[in-house]
Amino acid sequence: MSNLTREESKKRVWKVCGILAVVTAVEIAAALSHYKFFHESPKMLLNVLFIILSAAKAYYIMSEFMHLKYELKAMAVTILAPFLFLVWGIIAFLWEGNYWLSSKEFWDILR
Amino acid sequence: MEATAKPTAKELWDGGDSPFRVSYGKIMMWYFLISDTFTFAGLLISYGAIRTSHAKHDPTNIHSWPDPNEVFNSGPGFHHAPLIFVTFMTFTLILSSVTMVRAVQEGHNMNRQGVMKWMIFTIIGGLVFVLSQAWEWTHLIHEGMTPTTNPFGATSFGALFFLITGFHGFHVSVGVLLNSWALYATYKGVFEKRGHYEMIEKLGLYWHFVDLVWVYVFLAFYLF
Repeated sequence: MSNLTREESKKRVWKVCGILAVVTAVEIAAALSHYKFFHESPKMLLNVLFIILSAAKAYYIMSEFMHLKYELKAMAVTILAPFLFLVWGIIAFLWEGNYWLSSKEFWDILR
Repeated sequence: MEATAKPTAKELWDGGDSPFRVSYGKIMMWYFLISDTFTFAGLLISYGAIRTSHAKHDPTNIHSWPDPNEVFNSGPGFHHAPLIFVTFMTFTLILSSVTMVRAVQEGHNMNRQGVMKWMIFTIIGGLVFVLSQAWEWTHLIHEGMTPTTNPFGATSFGALFFLITGFHGFHVSVGVLLNSWALYATYKGVFEKRGHYEMIEKLGLYWHFVDLVWVYVFLAFYLF
């Protein structure tokens, strides 16, 4: 349970709402300006930015909206630790996808 | 050694003290959400693998991966405005998450009227989101994008789009139904009689999770 008073937690919710809205607006603005002005340049750097901003949004939703920040730390660790498996999943399957791509290129069946 | 441990005041989870100082129902909702996260992660990682195995966007190659700015560029009554409609959908979902938190807070205050008010806003937000998605699906199907055809590029894009946004939309719809039931129960005074509004908190966890998943669906389909 949080130690915040009713008024404080009310204010906090709208503050987090503002943060999420601003982050989303920044993402959209970045995506659109790339599309309009830098269409030819690679999107790699921008994608890294999107990953970081999405992680920030996930942090605020879980810690404030889902109240995880105010639960016992052990509980937060139990919930978050299994997601480490996803790091393996993402690396392994993107690696695999890349291999499929090079196979297709090799056999000239890229489509 | 004393063989029989005296059963002292039995409460919470019957062991005297609840693990993590949280109710059984709430921790079980969390565990359900962890498993659901892995389901969504499985879908999104498949998306990543299949996308990686396709040629990068190239207007001259119909089998290359489509550019989201070209696929998602319409809303009800407007065209050639990339990502604008999905921005509206995203804001709707964020706002409905906020109204859900407010409902939980009014539940802590045992304010039945307040809970009802904020639950109504949350349900409206959910409905607006699902209906927007229905509009977008209809529009894309008219444009010729289905699970098996895609005029914008790789066929897999359409298949994955309908699979993943469909699974997310299904979660939103279930959330709207559960929230409507909770609104009715609040109106009937079920939680007031029970002495706490924990049910609203559990539904809140589910609802925020749906919002959280959207962050990543949005990232995969609309931003990357």
